Amino acid sequence: MENIRTENILEIDFLSKYYGGKSQNQTKALDGVTFQVLEGEFLGIMGSSGSGKSTLLNCIAAVIRPTAGKIALRGAQIQDMEGKELAEYRGKKIGYLFQNFELLDNLTGRENILLPLSLHGISEKESRERLRQLADYLEIADVLDKFPAQMSGGQKQRVAAARALIMKPELVLADEPTGALDSRNAKVLMEKLSGLNRDENATILMVTHDSGAASYCRRILFIRDGRIIHELRRDTPEETQQMFHGRILKVMAQMGGGSENVL
Amino acid sequence: MFYEKSPGMFRTLVRRNSRRNRKENSLFFLSLLISIIAFYIVLSLSSQDVMLFLQKMESDAVNKLMAMIPLFYGMTLIILFFLIYYAGSFQMERRSHEFGMYLMFGLRRPKLFLLLLAEDFSGSVLALVIGIPVAVLISELTSLVTAKVVGLGIIGHQSSFSLRAVLWTAVGFLLIKSAAFLVLSGKIVRQEVGSLLLDTPKGVKKQKPAAVYLLSLLVGLVCLTAAFGMAAGGISWSQIDKMGYTLALGLLGTAFLFYGLRFAMDFLARRGNRASLSADPRRVKEDCSFQNLQVFDFRQLEETVIHHSGAMAVSFLLILAALCCFGSGVAIARDNNWSKDHVLDYTFSDEAENEKTVLADRGLDTYFSSLFEMKVGHIRTTEDYEHAFQMETVMDALAGLPESYAREILLNNLGYATAPRLISLTGYNMLLDAAGLPVLKLEKGEAGVYIDPEFTDDERTRILNEILSKEPEAVLDGTAIRLTGEVQTTALVTDRMLTLSFALILPDEQFEYYTQGDYSVYLNGILGNEAVEGKSLLQAISAMNQKLDEAGLPYESYLQNMGRQLFYTVASSYLTIYLAIIFLVVANTVIGVQFLMGQQKAGRRYRTLVRLGADYGTLCRSAARQINWYFGIPVVLAAIASLFGERALLTGLLSFEMRESIPEMIRLSVPMLLLLFAVEYLYIMLVRRTSARYLLTLMEPEREE
Repeated sequence: MENIRTENILEIDFLSKYYGGKSQNQTKALDGVTFQVLEGEFLGIMGSSGSGKSTLLNCIAAVIRPTAGKIALRGAQIQDMEGKELAEYRGKKIGYLFQNFELLDNLTGRENILLPLSLHGISEKESRERLRQLADYLEIADVLDKFPAQMSGGQKQRVAAARALIMKPELVLADEPTGALDSRNAKVLMEKLSGLNRDENATILMVTHDSGAASYCRRILFIRDGRIIHELRRDTPEETQQMFHGRILKVMAQMGGGSENVL
Repeated sequence: MFYEKSPGMFRTLVRRNSRRNRKENSLFFLSLLISIIAFYIVLSLSSQDVMLFLQKMESDAVNKLMAMIPLFYGMTLIILFFLIYYAGSFQMERRSHEFGMYLMFGLRRPKLFLLLLAEDFSGSVLALVIGIPVAVLISELTSLVTAKVVGLGIIGHQSSFSLRAVLWTAVGFLLIKSAAFLVLSGKIVRQEVGSLLLDTPKGVKKQKPAAVYLLSLLVGLVCLTAAFGMAAGGISWSQIDKMGYTLALGLLGTAFLFYGLRFAMDFLARRGNRASLSADPRRVKEDCSFQNLQVFDFRQLEETVIHHSGAMAVSFLLILAALCCFGSGVAIARDNNWSKDHVLDYTFSDEAENEKTVLADRGLDTYFSSLFEMKVGHIRTTEDYEHAFQMETVMDALAGLPESYAREILLNNLGYATAPRLISLTGYNMLLDAAGLPVLKLEKGEAGVYIDPEFTDDERTRILNEILSKEPEAVLDGTAIRLTGEVQTTALVTDRMLTLSFALILPDEQFEYYTQGDYSVYLNGILGNEAVEGKSLLQAISAMNQKLDEAGLPYESYLQNMGRQLFYTVASSYLTIYLAIIFLVVANTVIGVQFLMGQQKAGRRYRTLVRLGADYGTLCRSAARQINWYFGIPVVLAAIASLFGERALLTGLLSFEMRESIPEMIRLSVPMLLLLFAVEYLYIMLVRRTSARYLLTLMEPEREE
């Protein structure tokens, strides 16, 4: 099998994030989470509000510093990074897809996509071909010179996706990317992301509570009260997306039912 | 509700909020301080040494100036009201979410109003507590420096502190502050909670086609060129309606220019795109600090230009006005060379008989190193005294010269010189002797020509000297006389007791004959060394004046002459420089506050940049570039416009003779421009520091959460 040769790109080891010091009111947003992400994997993280999934994503994106544990991207320890190294990591190693796009509204689509290059002083020349490919694939070539206000929600998110991918990051982090989209646009976006994962071997880690979006993943981690409580793996190619969706819904129903033992 | 139940909490909130306001909006607080200083300085003008001194000499003119002070005060009030209103509105807008939260907590609206009022008041009081001592200090320093510069140190420094000025400063400041506050807080308190809680709208403005902006830019440039052309060419100054057209063209041009600037910004942003597309990757890497976020910077600027082109245009006009005021003030002050050609200290009029005896009786004559009589009279040998003198040879010689402005004036002036006054040679020679000039030698049948320095200039004197060198003949009461020597221009008296546009100097005998012994005698005096010793001349004259006043002798002293010129110099330079400072402060505060508030509104964008991997240094450099451009656009445009503006102003305001020295005056203004750039630099640094502090807050808390 092909997967045998793939290696871990991201390793999360006993990751914890506590709020509120050592008092009784301490909140354990993450409580000893451990998992790995393989190169070229499309991993979903699901959980209800307050389960800790966004905290997890923010720790990996180095936006917040964990209380304990380790995060390693290809062996590089992220939790210890500072200053320039940290900025390089955020800009070059990971691509981030936000729920509400976070496009700069006074920049055109093209300028938004090229922003990471500008930030890291990289010539656009090298990425011109990359921009063209991404624009064609994400079907945003005709909105490249428009401002975000002139784009639809779906176009905005696809422009944001192009921005996240322009630097060929080792890991794409997506925080509820379909959260602000209607179902049709959400479907288009997920197909594109899934296609990039399949064709370009892009590693994607996506946080979502949309079962439909999650059904595009190959593996899903369920998280509650800061702990991973379950894992689903799609049996490709035997299992169809619809069948996988059905399994996801089942797990969600059990979790929503408040059962302590989900399985 | 906790505020209402606990007054202590309310006080704490007021204190903490005001402290935070000052910290976050230090530029606004600084402009409050400057307002206070400006008020105090204009109000304490009458207590300044120079003004106290001039009050004695030129009380009329000084009183007129003092009568204008309330006008200046009022004008300053209005300008600063808008400044405070503008800067305050940004502050309120930024805090609207916070106000919404207070209301959500259940704070009643009147209480919110009270909270804002208390915050505002505590800020105002602190500004007054800091501002007034600083204002007094600056006023005192100005007083001392001005006194020193004009050579009055001697008169004895008096404190310029004025309680009245302090009171009016406080009243005026609190008045505009409260007026601005009432309008602003009224707006905030009336709003719905929901709209307060809403984050500031992104404010996406409809874009017009690029051609519209380009057209606007071009129309603006054309209008401005036309306006400056009209003003510098002198057309605008001839009639009030033409001035109106010029003004309208200028204002319209400015508005169009700034509206159209969006085109330039868009162009630069797109060029930034292309530049990075075509650049060699290795070089770009090296220059990365330069290239980083260039497109973002120009888009930010473009947005500001779209949203605030009006405010930018106003800033531009204010800086332009400041530059013109400053330049003109300094140029006029420098041009007024009031200490030149000073010979006489005193002149006693002939109204009192025997001045010399009176002086001697009082023992005052010993103070003078020289006392001599200047005899001046009319021609009394003929009934037709209006036409007693003709100098056709001179007029013909003049008419034969190539056409020039000086010739025209001479032809006109001398055409009326048919009844000249006569001056006796002995008195005039004593004057020349005192001035260290060679004395005049006249034979019988010869006459010297005298013209008061106010009625001639170098060019006219040169032309006349050329004619006089041929010793032309003239006719005085039917007798031929030769006009000889050079034109005499040493003032006959110390100030303005006597100014003659044309007179003849005659040997004493002829003088006695033509005047028939009926003439005026002016007694001129020069103070001796003993009187001046240990003091400056001005102090000596002041002391002497007191003694003479006691003696009741009518006199005029050099102090009056100097005082008048000093007054115009001080008044014009003082007021223009004062206005320049006010304009400059307002413009810079508007630009600075606008940038900082715009930056805070764009806080979300900066956060996105951080998440995309921008480090603190990159953001600071980007902000610094934006600040440079943001200040640079109006300042540089104003500096360019001021070169024309200055010329136009001087063309319109100065007399013809002075216009000829305009290039000289513009040269004098250049150091002022440099000084203004220094002021801009300081503001830019201040804004950069504030901006860097804000950007740091975007880097840190998210990471720590």
